[in-house]
Amino acid sequence: MTKEIQKQEVIVTGFGGQGIVLAGKILGMAAALGDHKESTLVQSYGPESRGGACCAQVIISNRIIQYPYVKTADALICMSQSAYEKYKDQLKPEGYLITDRDLVTPDGCREFFDIPATRMAEELGRKMMANIIMLGFVTAITALVSKAAAQEAVQSSVPKGTEEMNLKAFTKGFEYGVSKLKGKEKKATGQIGVTS
Amino acid sequence: MENYKIILFLCNWGPHAAYQGLQDNGYQIPSEIKMVSIPCTGRISKAILFKAFEMGADGVAIVGCCSGACRYGSGTDTAENNTIDTRSILELLGMGQERMRLATFLPDESTALKDFLADFCQQIKMLGKSPVSPVQPTSQDMPPETVQQVLTRHDAYSCQDCGKCTASCPLALSGKSYSPRTLVNSIIQGNGNREQIYKDLQACLTCGICFERCPSDVNFPEFVRDMRGVLFQADGMESGRQPHGGFFQSLMRTMTSPALKTSRWDWLPDDIRLDDQSPILFFGGCAPYFDVFFRRHQKVQTRDIIADSLRLLNFFDVQPRLLPSERCCGHDLLWSGDRVNFMRLAKLNVEMIQDLGVKTVITACPECYQTLSTQYVLQGLSPAFTVTHLYDFLEKEIDKGAVNFKQLDRKITYQDACRLNRMENVRELPRKLVRRLSVKNFSEMKDAGQSALCCGNCAWTGCDAHSKALQVKRIRQAKETGSDLMVTSCPKCQIHLRCAMEDPFLGEELKMEMVDLTTLIAKTIYYD
Repeated sequence: MTKEIQKQEVIVTGFGGQGIVLAGKILGMAAALGDHKESTLVQSYGPESRGGACCAQVIISNRIIQYPYVKTADALICMSQSAYEKYKDQLKPEGYLITDRDLVTPDGCREFFDIPATRMAEELGRKMMANIIMLGFVTAITALVSKAAAQEAVQSSVPKGTEEMNLKAFTKGFEYGVSKLKGKEKKATGQIGVTS
Repeated sequence: MENYKIILFLCNWGPHAAYQGLQDNGYQIPSEIKMVSIPCTGRISKAILFKAFEMGADGVAIVGCCSGACRYGSGTDTAENNTIDTRSILELLGMGQERMRLATFLPDESTALKDFLADFCQQIKMLGKSPVSPVQPTSQDMPPETVQQVLTRHDAYSCQDCGKCTASCPLALSGKSYSPRTLVNSIIQGNGNREQIYKDLQACLTCGICFERCPSDVNFPEFVRDMRGVLFQADGMESGRQPHGGFFQSLMRTMTSPALKTSRWDWLPDDIRLDDQSPILFFGGCAPYFDVFFRRHQKVQTRDIIADSLRLLNFFDVQPRLLPSERCCGHDLLWSGDRVNFMRLAKLNVEMIQDLGVKTVITACPECYQTLSTQYVLQGLSPAFTVTHLYDFLEKEIDKGAVNFKQLDRKITYQDACRLNRMENVRELPRKLVRRLSVKNFSEMKDAGQSALCCGNCAWTGCDAHSKALQVKRIRQAKETGSDLMVTSCPKCQIHLRCAMEDPFLGEELKMEMVDLTTLIAKTIYYD
């Protein structure tokens, strides 16, 4: 019996130093260790790590992955404008475009999901946790990985002693995502306010 | 046969002649009718009309002269308005507005009066006995405390006579010769003028600013509350001394009758979704009664807060249930010194809520919140549910994100509610919510947060010209911020400050729009 191939290609991208690669790594780990799927990660090296556009390519599949590079992405997660410009054409028409609201202004020709992840991380006290917040958001919006698997992966990937804080950040992003989906649902019914 | 009690307030002028005409002709007035002769129907306030029901009357008829034939001009018109209000209150209480009637007769209309009396008796018998049983002291009630016990419990002896309380008391600052420390000391010495002590105890706003400043940590508001309790049980409260003729205390005592099935939810708009299996209960509070009572005075619409709270819960996909025959939380009875009836209400409420299996109670009223969450426990009850203020719920939900607020082109300021601000230390939470709104500007009044000024009255007790002066001061402070909208969090702040705005001498100077924070959030929030 052949299982239907369910393969999802994800590009996580932003500035070097935003924790883009770590986010990609956690995503892949969650899929492989938590959800028992196959996953690969290709990270970009070089000048990116000194502040240019940085990119992590993650593939999640229920079958063995033959080729680890992303051809067309099912989800594009952008945390900087330049990264968005560079990768936006690789996203499938029906794919998810997910952005940091304050850092990326999409050109408006498609639907997208945005979260002020960096601002929320600042409010939580650590700007560097924006990637974890983004990860929570992605987990809620897309069905790439399960919540439990993602939480598990976050816990085992972040530095010792910061687990609790990172989980809090994850939850924050996740709840924002759930709320966002709810808002989308409400918009579909035409009532976005309390009475209208 | 059951013994019906129908009170007939009979005007001395026109209808009394008709009444006498009946007696002269040997007509037996039905035995259930107890006639009270009055000088004019216009003098019978809502408080007096309602007092009869509190004391167990099955029906009340007020009979006066025809409009235009009133000896004093406007008596009948006043009575008409009072009747409409009292009937609406009876309806909210679930007693049925038919229990109260107004009728007018000319001196020669004996037959019509006879028919009216017969018809009214018939109607009352159809409605049955009143569900209100007059409050009788029982052995289960707490024994009255002594002055000594109250003094000791609050450690009033530790007063250092420093005068910080008087120096901060908003009543004293508005010019009243009133001093918390003098009051405490004259009670300790026991030789003060009883009349004066009584007046001073009634005057306290229990706003708590003195307690905040007291170096000996004497909880003056609670001391006053318990001293009121002592006096209440020793002398009996003269209800006439309380503002609005003691109407509200009367109303709340009425609600201690277990047989009463209130119907305070009939007015709720259709768009609100409720679920009578929900583990979350929304406790509304007495706002619907206030709106009826102040209907013609200040266009008070405090029940909108209840509707908007429910809409906000719905907005965040919570469909709460309501207590079918919700009663007053008891706050006003507790703070006006009627502890016995407070306990009756509190026990009833706890029982009813627990019988529903409710785990969480959400309320938007600061007084209900303080009473349900803190006072019930302090007064010896152990409710098995948690009480959350709506602001807490909203802050948590809004913080999750994806909601935004419509731009509001107003400059706003915030009036603290004493029960939230001082008693529960909830002063940052409403401000956090206020700051989330998209308004032109938010500025604090000169006295805000811990030093905020009271709206001028509490628990419908002790209102006078100085309370008014205090309210005027508060509104001026709000105006000085340059704001054009005052945001409040307590229905009573709205009622009392609106009352001050009606001042005919100061006129337009004091006019300022007010809105409850809950309503403001409900009006502007949307899913982004």
